[in-house]
Amino acid sequence: MRLALAVVSLVVLVGSGVVIVDQFHSQWQDHQKAYFNQALGLAKTPAERAALDGRTPRLEQVIATGFGDARVDRCESCHIASDDPRFTQGKEPLRTHPYSAEMGDVLKDGRWERRHKFTEFGCTACHDGQGRGLDKADAHGEETEWPRPMSGYTTQADWDKNIAGHLKGKEFLQANCVRCHADKDFAGAPEVAKGRALFFKTGCFGCHRIEGISSGTLGPDLSEEGKERKVDYLWGHIVDPRAYTPTSIMPKFKLTDDERKSLVIFLKSRQGVDYSSSAVAGYKLAGTTNKPVPESAIAVESTLSTSLTSAARGEKLIEGYACLSCHKLDDHDGGISPDLSREGLLRDEQWLTDHFKNPRSRVPDSDMPVFGLPENDYRDMAAYLLTRNSPAPAATPAETYKNLCARCHGEKGDGKGINSTYIDPAPRDLTLAEFMANKPESRLINSIQNGVPGTSMPPWSKVLTADQTKGVLDYVWASFVKTPHRQLKPRKIPDVNPVAMTPESIHQGEAIYLQRCTGCHGRKADGHGPNSLDISPRPRNLRNAAFVQATSDRRLLESITYGVEGTAMPSWIDYGLSQNQIGDILNYIRSLNAEPKTGK
Amino acid sequence: MGAAPKAIEPAETQVPRRQFLMWLSSVGVVGSALAAIFSTFVFMKPRATYGQPNRFRIGRPEEFPTGARIAIDTKRVCIVRDGDKLAAISTTCTHLGCIVAPSATGFHCPCHGSQFDVDGNVTGGPAPKALPWYLVTITPSGELEVDKDTEIQMGTYLSV
Repeated sequence: MRLALAVVSLVVLVGSGVVIVDQFHSQWQDHQKAYFNQALGLAKTPAERAALDGRTPRLEQVIATGFGDARVDRCESCHIASDDPRFTQGKEPLRTHPYSAEMGDVLKDGRWERRHKFTEFGCTACHDGQGRGLDKADAHGEETEWPRPMSGYTTQADWDKNIAGHLKGKEFLQANCVRCHADKDFAGAPEVAKGRALFFKTGCFGCHRIEGISSGTLGPDLSEEGKERKVDYLWGHIVDPRAYTPTSIMPKFKLTDDERKSLVIFLKSRQGVDYSSSAVAGYKLAGTTNKPVPESAIAVESTLSTSLTSAARGEKLIEGYACLSCHKLDDHDGGISPDLSREGLLRDEQWLTDHFKNPRSRVPDSDMPVFGLPENDYRDMAAYLLTRNSPAPAATPAETYKNLCARCHGEKGDGKGINSTYIDPAPRDLTLAEFMANKPESRLINSIQNGVPGTSMPPWSKVLTADQTKGVLDYVWASFVKTPHRQLKPRKIPDVNPVAMTPESIHQGEAIYLQRCTGCHGRKADGHGPNSLDISPRPRNLRNAAFVQATSDRRLLESITYGVEGTAMPSWIDYGLSQNQIGDILNYIRSLNAEPKTGK
Repeated sequence: MGAAPKAIEPAETQVPRRQFLMWLSSVGVVGSALAAIFSTFVFMKPRATYGQPNRFRIGRPEEFPTGARIAIDTKRVCIVRDGDKLAAISTTCTHLGCIVAPSATGFHCPCHGSQFDVDGNVTGGPAPKALPWYLVTITPSGELEVDKDTEIQMGTYLSV
């Protein structure tokens, strides 16, 4: 008993001793002692020696109040030699912070004088990290929870290994320079300026808003992105948006690592309030509703000479305005949006202009943003695209398919071409024999020649001759459908909806629609019902006015009555709907799309 | 074991053993208690506070021409320079803590009229003590650093 007590009490004593030693002895004290020893060796005058005499380690801290919230930086507790010019060859942490004329440091009488004095600016204003931290991991922000690890230096343990390697380098500090040096072309931060140019050149401005810079509405506001996100997120999200945000509709842009770096640094520099403006100024700025003219519009404008013809100007604009970071034009392929190489044969001027002004006026589910560019630029761009009118060269059907169709419908015809994920409605899966074989050939030919309104399928009649069209279809049939043409039984379908379009009929139709159709087509009839995610091909968006208006009563009635083979659309006559009820539903769907939405 | 005289021996050694254990336990208990008290009291004196630091840099010696008496009100210190000699004198009145202003004859407190001479000795008014002098050093980067935590003997100058 006594032995146990003695042992326990000794263990407690040793334990508390260890805790005390651990708590009262820190790394920074060792660093400071080492500094005093080395400095004593370097001291040349008695005064220098006297200044070091009797110095004991003490906590060094800077309280910087001039920049946003007051910051407490204790970095110099370890980095105590940062302002001691004798330690330029020292080893971290006992090393002189480099002097740099570019940053405004002045060499006066053989001594450097800093422009950004540590006593005024602290350290974290430029470097980030956790100023209060007193051991290395804390101070450098290595903890995964810390929102601001040291820029360009510290990577956190949970960052993707493939990405972390790209996030080192002092260029990343430039993101913090522009928190004060907010003017657009600040020479000290070339990476930020480059990233800003890329923000326009890559078309980011079309979707994303940044306070005072751009006014896109399709994607999230990036005004304070640098405050909310760490660089690993920014990098990873640019490389593959869906890896970080599974529901993101942002395309994967083709960018080099250098370009990504500049963009990340630019985005990191978007930290909302800038140090140099007062809170009141920031408040006023936030209240303004002015839409900034895209900088790219001004930049591109300045490269154009007035002597250019409309089409030549349009060509320059299409290059300058980032169209090709998504679209394909000859050899330049953004890999996201349709090929513009033969646009002059596929679309007319009205279509193009409408599409520029509002892409969703012609393809209601298009994910192309409204760029808000000057009207005459749109006109010139349309003029240029109309000159792209060389018909497809005579080639074998296989080559024609590869050149014109494979980009959307896929090399294997499975509807999974390189840009298919960005196209809504998705390109038809041509290997779906059940669907293909149950359509009369005339309809398939019609879809190719005249396109499918409201979708990205353009009319190919001017590009392909009738023979070529037939050839491609035969090729598709032989390579992908691989089923003999079926003899279709003629169905008794009225050509025109037999039920008159009356308010009662529409009302009836809505009631039936809500009971029977919403599971897949959605309550809003936009094709996004709760079951839609599990269905392929996806349910039709019944609010796609261009499509619904262009589709005959007969075809819609047939689809509802007998279902669509090869898809999830069942035959509703088997589910007990009468001819009249189907007519009511059709009236309801037509009523949803009654107002002509095109041309506005 | 067995013989009676031998039976006493363990009893004799048992007492020192018990005492030894007791002694050990007491050392342990008292020692940990002392350690606990020590660490508790140490925390009463923080290593860092969040006020404006008492040690600060005020610029290079060249910024203070000879003969200058420049008061830095935000830091409550007056830098006096005389030839190569430089010193920092507090400008906090020792009476009630107002900021004293340098005057032709030394320092003058606006609140209750305390007068000090150029070295900070009281020459009039209610002030009970002379103005303290603070340690000034030159940092390796060539800047002057005033340490208000360290008072020095009046008349101790830093030669620059």
